[in-house]
Amino acid sequence: MSDFDLTAIAELLPEYLGKQRWFSGNAPKRVDIEEDEQLAERLLWMLVDADGKRYQLLVGAAPTTAVPDFLHGHDAAILGVAGDWLLFDGLLDADLARAVLERVAPGEEVRHVRPMGAEQSNTSLVCDERLVLKVFRRVHDGANPDIEVTTALGDAGFAHVAAPTAVWERDDRHLAVVQPFLTGATDGWALALTSLRDAYGSDCDDVSECGGDFAAEARRLGEVTAGMHLALADAFGTQTGDLGKWVGVMHRQLERIGAERPWREQVAQAFHRFAALPPGPALRVHGDYHLGQVVRTDTGWYVLDFEGEPNRPLDERRIPSSPLKDVSGMLRSLHYAAEIALRERDDVDLERLAPIAAAWEERNRKAFLRGYLGTPGVDALLPGGIGSDETMQALRAWELDKAVYEVGYEVGHRPDWVAIPESAVQRILEVS
Amino acid sequence: MSELGDVPLTPTEASDLRWYQKAVFYEVGVRGFYDSNDDGFGDLKGLTQKLDYVEWLGVDCLWLLPFFSSPLRDGGYDIADFFTILPEFGDLGDAVTLLEEAHRRGIRVVADLVVNHTSDAHPWFQESRLDRVNPKHDWYVWSDDDQQYQDARIIFVDTETSNWAWDPQRQQYYWHRFFSHQPDLNYDNEEVQVAMIDVVKFWLDIGLDGFRVDAVPYLFEREGTNCENLPETHDYLKRLRKEVDASFPGRVLLAEANQWPGDVVEYFGQGDEFHMCFHFPIMPRMFMSVRREQRYPITEIVSQTPEIPDGCQWGMFLRNHDELTLEMVTDEERDYMYAEYAKDPRMRRNVGISRRLMPLVENDRRVAELLHALLFSMPGSPVLYYGDEIGMGDNIYLGDRDGVRTPMQWTPDRNGGFSRADFARLYLPPLMDPVYGYQAVNVEAGMRDPSSMLHWMKRMLEVRKQHPVFGTGSIEFLSVDNPSVLAYVRCDGETGDTILCVNNLSRFAQPAELPMQTFDGLTPIELLGRVPFPKIGELPYFVTLGPYQFYWFQLVEHQGGQER
Repeated sequence: MSDFDLTAIAELLPEYLGKQRWFSGNAPKRVDIEEDEQLAERLLWMLVDADGKRYQLLVGAAPTTAVPDFLHGHDAAILGVAGDWLLFDGLLDADLARAVLERVAPGEEVRHVRPMGAEQSNTSLVCDERLVLKVFRRVHDGANPDIEVTTALGDAGFAHVAAPTAVWERDDRHLAVVQPFLTGATDGWALALTSLRDAYGSDCDDVSECGGDFAAEARRLGEVTAGMHLALADAFGTQTGDLGKWVGVMHRQLERIGAERPWREQVAQAFHRFAALPPGPALRVHGDYHLGQVVRTDTGWYVLDFEGEPNRPLDERRIPSSPLKDVSGMLRSLHYAAEIALRERDDVDLERLAPIAAAWEERNRKAFLRGYLGTPGVDALLPGGIGSDETMQALRAWELDKAVYEVGYEVGHRPDWVAIPESAVQRILEVS
Repeated sequence: MSELGDVPLTPTEASDLRWYQKAVFYEVGVRGFYDSNDDGFGDLKGLTQKLDYVEWLGVDCLWLLPFFSSPLRDGGYDIADFFTILPEFGDLGDAVTLLEEAHRRGIRVVADLVVNHTSDAHPWFQESRLDRVNPKHDWYVWSDDDQQYQDARIIFVDTETSNWAWDPQRQQYYWHRFFSHQPDLNYDNEEVQVAMIDVVKFWLDIGLDGFRVDAVPYLFEREGTNCENLPETHDYLKRLRKEVDASFPGRVLLAEANQWPGDVVEYFGQGDEFHMCFHFPIMPRMFMSVRREQRYPITEIVSQTPEIPDGCQWGMFLRNHDELTLEMVTDEERDYMYAEYAKDPRMRRNVGISRRLMPLVENDRRVAELLHALLFSMPGSPVLYYGDEIGMGDNIYLGDRDGVRTPMQWTPDRNGGFSRADFARLYLPPLMDPVYGYQAVNVEAGMRDPSSMLHWMKRMLEVRKQHPVFGTGSIEFLSVDNPSVLAYVRCDGETGDTILCVNNLSRFAQPAELPMQTFDGLTPIELLGRVPFPKIGELPYFVTLGPYQFYWFQLVEHQGGQER
């Protein structure tokens, strides 16, 4: 084919976009094609404006007489028909994906391409089990924070990220990136659940004696987390934390989410006490740190996805924060893992297993903190040094804030699970 | 063929000088295998009488624990004469008969040799300790004080406090890296170097197919070093190899060097030192992976294992006559292994755990089979320990490492069919407990029961033999999201034979999506039953595995069906 029929494509786009997992919201009212370029014989690249949000599209084409096999079962990936051509998401086509890779990383030749589980804001392809081509669906102005941070961390000598090897950039916008594929990786969440299923399935009451003990992994994860913060401080610098601003954000969230909750007043008091502590340094942090953002490989833990919380504007995601924000995120994640693995079980088991869940969380929490706080140099990033009252109090405040956020999230998404963060709020208040 | 008669000196053909890369080894203590003369002690004649069983099982090479004259204060590793057989085992004629009978069945035989030290009862040491001027006065490492080489660690921390021991006769200290009754030979002495080469040649002349050389990293001592893996040691070992290759091509030298893989590979040299080295660190990690239900303990150590030179091979084992060695794990892992596998302190010896395989896995045959499947399918030549093929247990109440060296259990009869001697005369009591005792676990029962572990093992060895790729093929791990699933592809570059191995390390059923796009269009054939599985397509290949289950698939172009 020589040319894509842009007018026909523009008509197909609103309905198509509405069906995509990576598109936020329902079908847009209005879609404008801002830019386009034919990248290969049957591959069209476009930047579109959908109700004010910018998306990148890669459209492939095949004759309607020869529908490709790979489209089987992927109805949502089909735009429709224009003339004699069937139009579809070009990244599903291995040949076209290779053409994209050639554009992002010229000279990089691969044979096999496979998708790597769809994500919210981008699509990743594994090439020859050696490279990952990540194509951003939603495109923002300015540098993509993940590329910005992983490149800087790589330059700072932090080995536990997949630092980009090639970036596709156009008009100061990041469109795609190539990173080394982390061979044999599984995410921390899967690993934690493996450990928990073992603990719940064992007869032993002492989690430290269960075969699937996770504590050594948790400790190493703590060490890697500390190393990440030290490297972030190195790469982006530190400043004195703006405690007033942090506490303000915490209070506002509490008013929004906890207004009706019995613990609102107590949490507010805890935040007030937090406001009286020394703030400690602020630095660029991960921002959305949990077990699903770290993967275990043959050479240890790696940290993924430095995009920050995807629902917040880019500028806000770059605001320096306390490293304890990330630490609290991981601690909350350990609690979630223990509770969710518990919910996989029969109800009859719950009474017997609840203490094991608590013991598992406690053991791995401690191990993670031991790894984190035991890392040389990390004390300089904390409000009051290793294990000091100030640090532990500040950590509790961050954890409380995260748990309040989770209550809000669960009310909106998974009401059955509200009890998980609710119990965490109660518990933290009892300790404080 | 040899000119000596119709029995070849060794089954090795010129075309197959690298037989050891594909072989399965079977480790036997002569003492514990079969007693031919009713004295309570297993012997060479007894072993010869049981060669039919060894052949039936399908192993390729026997590895004999030391059979030399010895006061037996260290299981025969304290050699008192390199040229005579321990009288309880028989004599040189019995050794020659054993070699001939084994070779007749296509089975090779290698034996343990200790080159680092001798027993203090060895005539060399007796002469050396006489005074400071005798002809062998510096065949051992003597010193006026015990302050040299302080950087060398003490290996047997349970019994030894120093690497030096005082000899009241010569009024000097002598150096010993192991027990104080095992003085180290002084390899700085050319006469010692030559003497040991003569020992090796003597046995190869008789027809032995090679040696497993014990404790090789410690031959030389140098101040300011830890006295392990020194360049001088490597130089000597290369000299030894050269001598062996020149007169005895196809014989094998196997190193016991309990070191990290990065250090062990030094013992392969450039393919001009040892043919084989044991891979020590992988063994405890196989156990750990199964207990933790995740693959990382294994894949981590494999990723730290360097390539080895052409013509070399790793020796792989699950259990052997020693403890489950924990020297090559981190402190944290060691604590974990102790907690998991040695709940009774008596099970711990030095820095290891003295258990046989079945008790280690709490008598769970599924786990034992999974571990063997790993052993047989990971790169390297597997070494089985006698008795593990029938699922024998151990007796942790026997001293030292004897707990895993009890008599082979042949039948449910008296003494387990091992010996007709009075029970009290046996070198060690056979196991008699209700779970692992000879009345429940023995070769006869295993052979009669088609679903026994013994038959399973025999079948696995058959399958392995049909696919040399298990010995010499490349390995590539597949990226599987499920951490409990360990999957890898073995591929033979020459024949194209390609085998996919999938292992479930968990006691729960597990799903796995295998990225198999590279093999698009091929059909996996399950190797134990030859059942074709659905063809591999462009999507990830989906398999489900039961608890501790494994699959071996050969990947083939398959036509299938009856259509023609």
